Amino acid sequence: MSDLATALVFWPAVAIMLVTGVYVFRTASMARAGLLLLASLGIEGLVFLALASEFLGVLQLLMMSGEMVIMVFFMVMFMPDPGGLMGMDMTHDKRRSASLAVAVGIGLAVVAVLTDWPARVVGRDAPDVRAIGFEVMGRSMLTFLFAAMTILFAMVGGVLLAKHGGRFAQIGAAGKGEA
Amino acid sequence: MISLPVVLVAAGLMFAIGLYGVLGQTNTIMVMMGVELMLGAAMLNVVGFLRYSWPDATSGAFFVLILMTLMAVEAAVGFALVISAFRHSRTAEIDDMHELKG
Amino acid sequence: MSDLTPFVVLAVALVGAGCAALLEQVVSGLRVSPQAVLTSVSRTLRQPLRAPQVRDGWLYHLAPGLLLVAAVAALAFVPWAPGFRGIDLSTGAIGFAAALAYVTPAVFMAGWGAGRALTVLGAFRWLALMLAYAMPLAMVITAVAAPAGSLRPSDIVEVQHAVPMALVQPLALALWVPAALAVCFLAPFDVAHCDEELGGGVFSEYRGLDAALVALARRVLLVAVSGMTVVLFFSGWHGPLLPAAVWMVAKTAAVAAGMLWMGGRVPRMEIDRALELAWKVANPLALVAIVWAGLVTLLFYR
Repeated sequence: MSDLATALVFWPAVAIMLVTGVYVFRTASMARAGLLLLASLGIEGLVFLALASEFLGVLQLLMMSGEMVIMVFFMVMFMPDPGGLMGMDMTHDKRRSASLAVAVGIGLAVVAVLTDWPARVVGRDAPDVRAIGFEVMGRSMLTFLFAAMTILFAMVGGVLLAKHGGRFAQIGAAGKGEA
Repeated sequence: MISLPVVLVAAGLMFAIGLYGVLGQTNTIMVMMGVELMLGAAMLNVVGFLRYSWPDATSGAFFVLILMTLMAVEAAVGFALVISAFRHSRTAEIDDMHELKG
Repeated sequence: MSDLTPFVVLAVALVGAGCAALLEQVVSGLRVSPQAVLTSVSRTLRQPLRAPQVRDGWLYHLAPGLLLVAAVAALAFVPWAPGFRGIDLSTGAIGFAAALAYVTPAVFMAGWGAGRALTVLGAFRWLALMLAYAMPLAMVITAVAAPAGSLRPSDIVEVQHAVPMALVQPLALALWVPAALAVCFLAPFDVAHCDEELGGGVFSEYRGLDAALVALARRVLLVAVSGMTVVLFFSGWHGPLLPAAVWMVAKTAAVAAGMLWMGGRVPRMEIDRALELAWKVANPLALVAIVWAGLVTLLFYR
């Protein structure tokens, strides 16, 4: 992409990403919060694309869609007021957490601007999908296997925790308890 | 002009937004959303470094893959815990969860 | 990628949607008349918009737009002839799946935003269906890309110049077809918007411009998915005698007609059955398909 096209994608995408990110926590409706988070993280995929990380950007777009829609679903299930009809307040320690977040944000921004980062190569594309593939199947194979095992454990553990009776339920008695 | 500090500032702000969510929200799922935003900020950082400092570092791209996995795992386990807690105490509000004992 | 690319993609989307509408007339045995399509479009556009009486009502008006964007983005990844495509990414096949993934939030927004019990029910059904069928879809794309050694759709076409992938990986095709039907809102997977069970489901509240956009997006989706089916399984633009683009268009029309034909004749699946089929049959078989793809790649495509 040309510099102009990159800039035309990058700046609006970053702006929308941050604004929707803020509004995730400023809305009272669960469906809205989840969809705003989807917008924030999905548009982060566009930022990745503008930063020439093609594979990661596309993957981010793909993964976040599924994950955040599930999140919306759970929000609607577990919130007392999923439709946001009453405008209930869902925050605690509002002032302290907000001021801490602002302080951390300013701190990180200052560090990011003031540090002399090693900018060795400017404007070269990030590794392509083939290079990532060789990385996954080569040097980082063990790490990748651990990630796979983690997912497996998460799946089994998640199902165990979520089923009727929790993790102590007897086999065979599952599903008989009250929901 | 897009440069490494710009990307890092954006990532820092996103991290701060996520932090606000984690600290300030009362609902477990909203807290998880904050965590997702923080992980997203970390990914943006890595992608920025990939673009401007170490374009040949495939392990950086791999790290982003691992982070995406982590987000999925966090969501799965988190939702399972919320279901479990909800079944036990009929709420998903953090302030109402005083004990870890099932 | 030139400056005109977005307009070319939009033109392809509009023409393709029109052709899909005509194709629907053919398949359902009606007289083919472009006049009828235009009349129904203008009648829909003259309806007044409807505003749902819920807080999240703006989602209801946003959803058709997102649906259309997702469909057009998916279409942009389909290569129609050597060098003629909208978006040329080296990960185009995954990009196609990523574009399709945004149909789900759009449908959810439509159902939730309309604020009726049946639309929300339809949205939840669609969510469950798509979560179940997105996995086989993505794994099948991976399996088909393996012999090409590339995720670029045009490379996947080039590797099929002699033998179409449908013959090499029939299992992958068998898994792709139900997922494709589900994504295109076609029977037997039209559980989210069926007239009989849900009274129109997620899209039942749409009127006017919103309804027209939904209808357009569904046609574009059909064209995009049939086009990608041809690219992945039926050797894309390769064919004797005729020019490449003609072959591509003809094959896409044939696949779209087949999907519509099937959609008109197969009875609707119960949502539980459809989910069981996806999780217990299609997902494990997709893993088998990937192993098979690896074997085939090692034996014949090195």
